[in-house]
Amino acid sequence: MYRIRLHGRGGQGIKTGSRILGSAFFGAGFEVQDAPVYGAERRGASMAAHVRAARSPIRERGVITRPDLVALADETLLQVPAANVLSGVGPDSVLLLHGNGDAETWRARLAFSGTVVVLPAAGEHAEAELGGARCAGAAARLAGVISRQQLMAAIAQELASLGPSATETTTAQALAAYDAVARHAGVLRESRPAAAVAFAAPEWIDLPLESARIAAPDIFAAATSVEMRTGLWRTMRPEIDYAHCNRCAWICSTLCPDSAIRVLADRSPEIDLEHCKGCMICVSVCPPHAIRALPERAARARELAAAP
Amino acid sequence: MNPALRRMKDLPSTHLLGAGSAMCAGCGGLLALHEIYDLLGARTVFVNAASCMTLLASYPFTPFRGSWLYTAMASAPAGAQGVRDALDILIGQGRLPPEEDLTAVALTGDGAATGIGLSATSGAIDRGLDFIYLCYDNEGYGNTGQQSSPATPLGARTATSGGAHGHAASKKDLFAIWVAHRPVYAATVVGADPLDLARKIDKARALTGPRLIHALAPCPPGWSFDPAEAVEIGRLAVKTGVWPLKEYVDGKVVHTHVPHPRLPVEEYLKRQGRFRHLFEPERDVQVLARIQSQVDAYWAEVCA
Ligand SMILES: Cc1ncc(C[n+]2csc(CCOP(=O)(O)OP(=O)(O)O)c2C)c(N)n1
Ligand code: SF4
Ligand code: SF4
Ligand code: SF4
Ligand SMILES: [Mg+2]
Repeated sequence: MYRIRLHGRGGQGIKTGSRILGSAFFGAGFEVQDAPVYGAERRGASMAAHVRAARSPIRERGVITRPDLVALADETLLQVPAANVLSGVGPDSVLLLHGNGDAETWRARLAFSGTVVVLPAAGEHAEAELGGARCAGAAARLAGVISRQQLMAAIAQELASLGPSATETTTAQALAAYDAVARHAGVLRESRPAAAVAFAAPEWIDLPLESARIAAPDIFAAATSVEMRTGLWRTMRPEIDYAHCNRCAWICSTLCPDSAIRVLADRSPEIDLEHCKGCMICVSVCPPHAIRALPERAARARELAAAP
Repeated sequence: MNPALRRMKDLPSTHLLGAGSAMCAGCGGLLALHEIYDLLGARTVFVNAASCMTLLASYPFTPFRGSWLYTAMASAPAGAQGVRDALDILIGQGRLPPEEDLTAVALTGDGAATGIGLSATSGAIDRGLDFIYLCYDNEGYGNTGQQSSPATPLGARTATSGGAHGHAASKKDLFAIWVAHRPVYAATVVGADPLDLARKIDKARALTGPRLIHALAPCPPGWSFDPAEAVEIGRLAVKTGVWPLKEYVDGKVVHTHVPHPRLPVEEYLKRQGRFRHLFEPERDVQVLARIQSQVDAYWAEVCA
């Protein structure tokens, strides 16, 4: 059986990628399960989807805890602990990384004992949004059991409702990825179905019976949401050019849906990068165009370079 | 009008709603809520029916500074009634000082407001319940993947209205349904016009009885547009006359903004992926004309 976990951010087409991959396996004669993890599927938020494919009926259910392949559409998620990208990987696992850098550096950096395959991302915005489809195309090649035609048929089937132009761009991206990892074809191997006897029970935590005041899910503090670092969702970063900001009447601060722009005592706006989700509303509403949009990746690289 | 709300400069510059909520980047519903909360203040209890906004407060995180209570989809007005009654009893018995009273706000999506929750709402208005009903309208069942709701507009594509012409029915008129009940106050707002919104919230806040705030909530994933455009789409909804800004007070409906010149509806529609099939591969002349003529008919009546 192939156990494949796709990770990425909402908006990158992770769910679509898992469906394409699932249908492609199905077209190649496999039994298939594919499902996204149901949750807050918000643009920019961490997302995962699961694909199982086997030559005989699949009896495993639920999330994949021991993946043969982890396909990661957005390398910045490796810095987000809650995304759990590498959970359950072992020396036989393959990590497909849609990003930059070379495989050996990633292996060393992540202390990853399995195989790393890098699918180069050109870093352009449009391409990033098709990360899910690109991962699906590459994963199909890594398994080595899916033909180009089967991949194309799966895309046509899954995207039928979105019209011909969506199908066309997705197919182009998925096929480019399929070709880009050609020399790793077959690196992903089928693993054995897990035997029930090998099941290790999770480490349950026994909670004592508490009074409702403690045990009920009541929140007694104000605005605890600030503990959630939604700034990690961002793919683009707003940056204020204070030389051009005319300290208007805090238009950006009022129109930021996330309360992520504060107005200081001297009437200057200040962006809270811990929480800014990168919607870029402030960029489009600032009357003198004093806020510009910067790819988050570039902004982080600049910060790293500036750090002592 | 509150003389203190004349210009953008008069709007609050510090914000009560906490950052870090799980709503999508560029959520037009969150935009409206964040503006509204600044004016209502922290002494509010939000009674939230199942919807996208349910994700605002997920234990142990909340963006609110006051209380939030979750109810089933049909039951927010009933929940608000319970909160109101409890407060009244506590104040009546002297267990809560009157100055610590709170405002009960039912917070729901359009699905609850125009569909499954309508009967509970109607009953609450009939009983004269002292509450604000805040409906953020993303024109579909957003939280479950944007299926059609009774508030979905004509021609829109949703997860359940595919086909060449999109959604076949027209949007249900929640404002008119409320007005038919003769409430104390009803208003439409949009986060993209914060000043108009602030004046209406300010007015609603000072009144007692059933009050509706109906906020158009441009929804990037559900309407398929780039989150950066959320404010522009809201502005276009007003400028094209698709979303009339109005209020019902003292028994009369007054438009707080009459778009002039009114832009063609296409300016609004063509910016959103949910209407793309009306333009590609061929123009759907009939549906486009129907949408425009509905808007024209509305304004012809207003301006008659
Ligand atoms: C009685 C009932 N039916 C279905 C659901 C599943 N459900 C949860 S949220 C939701 C969508 C509600 O739509 P709307 O009120 O417009 O709010 P939105 O999600 O768009 O914010 C649905 C159908 C439910 N919670 N309860
Ligand atoms: S909207 Fe632009 S000009 Fe106004 S405060 Fe913000 S950055 Fe400055
Ligand atoms: S991009 Fe601008 S408007 Fe959007 S969350 Fe960040 S600061 Fe707020
Ligand atoms: S789906 Fe739409 S309404 Fe729901 S949180 Fe996202 S943007 Fe807001
Ligand atoms: Mg809705």
